[in-house]
Amino acid sequence: MGGSKMDIRTKVSSRKATTKQKIIYALIAVFIVLVPVIFQGIGQLFLVRIMGVVGLYVMLALGLNIVVGFAGLLDLGYIAFYAMGAYVGVIVGDVMLKTFGASFGPWVYFASLPIAALAAAATGIALGTPVLRLRGDYLAIVTLGFGEIVRILITNDVFGLTNGPAGLPRSGQSIPEPFGLLWLREHAVFSIGDNFNFQFSNNLYWYFIAVLLCLLTIFVVRRLDDSRLGRSWTAMREDEVAAASVGINITTAKLWAFSLGAVWGGVAGLTFANFQQFVSPESFTFMESVFVVCIVVLGGMGSIPGAIIGAIAIQGIPELIRGLAQSGILPLDPGQASLVSNYRYLVFGLVMVIMMAVRPQGIWPSARRAMELHPDDEKIQNEESQSLWEAEHKTDTADHDL
Amino acid sequence: MSGDVIVQQLVNGITLGGLYALIALGYTLVYGIMLMINFAHSEMFMAGGYVGLFVLKALTNEAWVGAGAVGFFTGSTIGLIVLFVIVFLAAAILVGILGVVIERFAYRPLRHAPRLAPLISAIGVSIFLQNAVLLWVDSKALPFPAVMPVVTVVKVGGVTVNSLQILILVTTLLLLAFLDTFVSKTRIGKAMRATSQDREAAGLMGIDINQVIGLAFFIGPALGGIAGVFHGMYYGSVKFDMGFLPGMKSFTAAVIGGIGNLRGAMLGGFVLGILESLAAGFLSAGYKDVVAFAILILVLIFRPGGLLGESVVEKV
Amino acid sequence: MTSKRRRFVALVAVVAALALVVTGCASKTDTGGTDGGATEATVVKIGIGAPLTQGAVALGKGMERGANLAVSQANEDAAVKDLGITFETVSGDDQGDPKTGVTVANQFVSDSKLVGVMGHLNSGVSIPASKVYNQSSVVMVSPASTNPSLTQNGLDNVFRVCTIDSVQGPSGADSAFKDLGFTSAFVVDDSTPYGTGLADEFAKQFAADGGKVVGREKTGDKDSDFNALVTKIKSLNPAVVYYGGIYNSGALLSKQLSDAGVTAPLMGGDGLYDGEYVKLAGDAAAEGDFCTSVGYPIDQLPKGADFKAAFEAAYPGEAIAAYDAYSYDAANVIIEAVKKVAADLGAAKVTTLEGKKAIIAAVAATNMEGVTGAVAFDANGDTTNKVITLYTVKAGAWTAYVK
Repeated sequence: MGGSKMDIRTKVSSRKATTKQKIIYALIAVFIVLVPVIFQGIGQLFLVRIMGVVGLYVMLALGLNIVVGFAGLLDLGYIAFYAMGAYVGVIVGDVMLKTFGASFGPWVYFASLPIAALAAAATGIALGTPVLRLRGDYLAIVTLGFGEIVRILITNDVFGLTNGPAGLPRSGQSIPEPFGLLWLREHAVFSIGDNFNFQFSNNLYWYFIAVLLCLLTIFVVRRLDDSRLGRSWTAMREDEVAAASVGINITTAKLWAFSLGAVWGGVAGLTFANFQQFVSPESFTFMESVFVVCIVVLGGMGSIPGAIIGAIAIQGIPELIRGLAQSGILPLDPGQASLVSNYRYLVFGLVMVIMMAVRPQGIWPSARRAMELHPDDEKIQNEESQSLWEAEHKTDTADHDL
Repeated sequence: MSGDVIVQQLVNGITLGGLYALIALGYTLVYGIMLMINFAHSEMFMAGGYVGLFVLKALTNEAWVGAGAVGFFTGSTIGLIVLFVIVFLAAAILVGILGVVIERFAYRPLRHAPRLAPLISAIGVSIFLQNAVLLWVDSKALPFPAVMPVVTVVKVGGVTVNSLQILILVTTLLLLAFLDTFVSKTRIGKAMRATSQDREAAGLMGIDINQVIGLAFFIGPALGGIAGVFHGMYYGSVKFDMGFLPGMKSFTAAVIGGIGNLRGAMLGGFVLGILESLAAGFLSAGYKDVVAFAILILVLIFRPGGLLGESVVEKV
Repeated sequence: MTSKRRRFVALVAVVAALALVVTGCASKTDTGGTDGGATEATVVKIGIGAPLTQGAVALGKGMERGANLAVSQANEDAAVKDLGITFETVSGDDQGDPKTGVTVANQFVSDSKLVGVMGHLNSGVSIPASKVYNQSSVVMVSPASTNPSLTQNGLDNVFRVCTIDSVQGPSGADSAFKDLGFTSAFVVDDSTPYGTGLADEFAKQFAADGGKVVGREKTGDKDSDFNALVTKIKSLNPAVVYYGGIYNSGALLSKQLSDAGVTAPLMGGDGLYDGEYVKLAGDAAAEGDFCTSVGYPIDQLPKGADFKAAFEAAYPGEAIAAYDAYSYDAANVIIEAVKKVAADLGAAKVTTLEGKKAIIAAVAATNMEGVTGAVAFDANGDTTNKVITLYTVKAGAWTAYVK
């Protein structure tokens, strides 16, 4: 490991793609576009749906990655931003529809997206400000509490806005279809042979939206990682005290991490609400936050391909297994199929344990992180868990008087 | 609001707080030594409820232990006491062993892994255990037999305290006193404290780290298991997902008290239980969790180490 | 860099291989389906959408049991055999989670042989899922989702055999005030769409009848500690405590009320109508509690007694849970419609788009005698069965209340 430390900079900055890489990227692009079209054509709609959901979770994971992977702040209430985006977006969308009339319908999603993102960012700052001084695990529990507070407020129909447990849109109202979906459903229709009948669908539309948003997220996240802010996050994550002493404003850096992370949560939330055409508090439980953290850690902290693989592993595979077992694609009788379906979470839990034992750094760890931090170096780990506040107030860190 | 109601809410809160405190001790013990949030601890609580239920059912089943034994267990006061001591011991020991096994297979390989790896492993264990109970035991809530008669012990005005509430409180206090003495007075307790301060240095001083960690993973889950049996007795049922809410609350309690601090966990449990009951009684039951978490955030803003946590020392 | 690139290539290869396998297999099964011989019966699938690994699993398993019973009975039926069709069920585990529920819905509509769905339990799942079914003309009959907006979105394929809150809640209030003579009530719900809706409607009607609602509180559907609430209820001394929610938590509330010496009975909707309620609350605490449920008591209808016998034969040792009978009826609604369409159009056409649309029309025109009473639907797809029976716990079991 020591020898490779020297070329951190060269590696990170040399992002010009080689020919081989270009070919690989082109293949991936073709794959991303073609595969769902094929699935749609052969009538396996749930595979498109699963890909769409995975797309949403990639977005969530990349957003949380900013907070957890880059800035090193463990957030167990990330789903609160997802909820904020979904609810604020739907409520604002409803107001827009009432103000501008039904003809504005196709634009409601796109017009409310920035508002949902801003609302989530504002929530991020609102959460971030009071908890700036907290160390990793304390932060985790505060964010957990915050996530639960948001969910309970939504369930209790706060200010009469959220319609409580019954969800939005209210009875008789609906979330308008976005621009182009209707046209595509009517015109993007073709058949090849008897078994391939393609018709554009709701699932495909939101899948492509999710892919586009993921690409945007990846672009922004990569720029952030290389930016001055990204480097100050890295410094802060590795050693808050040292970072502060070289002039990094810890407060600003943390708030940026919270609010930028929240933005992607909010964007994903509104997209989810539109994908579902419905939103209710059941979607924003603590376990959802936990799953997003699992995606980030299992995939590899701070790593973009890691987030994608993690989302596939955690959101895609259990659903895929169930779907494949039950739709007759795999040669199973109904009894075996329901057995597979019922046991999949048991096995899933076991696999998480085994994965962590085999590859604790995640499936695809970030190259920079792997080089920066040797996982066996306990001293660095201990210092990593120390906050500025602690360092200011204490000389010794690992003091827990049992 | 009359005074009676306030006192009764305090009684409710203290009982609930006792349960939280028992579970919180497990979180705090493991955190103190391993610096890890043991997310699977809520499942230890759930396992305790089930072990208690099965042992209780087995011991009151004439086909298993004979009519004479059942008559002894359910017929006399001494029999009842013996019965419940056995049930609690069984739950504590079996769940303690489960905790040790989980540590051995899920957490020990991760001693030197990045900080979040054990957290994910613990979540995996939690999902596994919940589904194991769901698939192999029952998806329904199982009634917990009301073998022990619940009698009103104290009745002053409108305030009543029953035998079970007293039992929970007394047991919790006794266990804390025992644990506190154990950690501060015995050799192995000293080893635990040393390990929590600096694991590596403790190892160099000849302390068997694995033994200490194993012990923490026995005691913590054992206490959680006892809390699970109490939960079954007090509320009358056990269910595969019963651990989630109390687990989350108890973890909150441990943090309020100052995680890593045994007395803090205890204090945090009672504070949370009482505040929750008062909030449910006088504000709104729907907002009681909001109050609980808001208190947590406030405590941490003003005392970032928790109530009894690493308190503020002079600036250096 | 080489290792990184190698991983990229490996990933792409793995995913591509997976996709190929999936597409390959899928087309294989498709061709396999078409060359079914004349002697072989057409397989018609019915989806069961219910929480089976997370959420309200006990109720979900009950739904699965009810629907499976209906389907296995239908397959024994000579009329079904003559028509040349065999029913199969597919259980989709929605985990009570809207996101998973919509994925399950997509899985159901991906199966061309699947013509109808018996589900889902949670309204939050049923509402978004219903839109997916609508796009593929798959009929959906929910045995348990009571959120009014489910049937008010203008979708012609959505039905439910359970009554909506605005029927059951007021009926409960009338019973409480007029028949049982309770003049004051404390109303609690479990923060689910079902519980909140029911409790709101109860409170509204109870006040309109002239009763006094002395308190209105919310709890969580996973809560087990109600002692603080119980103390509050005790201090207000209502004549009855109304609980909008499911028996799990309802039983715990009843037990804690009784432990604290509150003598007012607990009352609720069909979510409490489950033998487990009495077991969990304990005989003493549950005795004298009330609940309302849709239709006539099972024992009073000939169909009901048959159902009970068949259920006990099929699932020895299992008690009939809150939604088993509704699920049985819901599945039978779909089965009857399939039978009608198979008779009209021929078995082969049942699983075509034409057949599916005919099934929706046939379900809309349903008029059958079910376990829960006469089953028929209004223009929205809500059941027209407005018969509500009041039950009380007597000698450790729910029995129809007789004045």
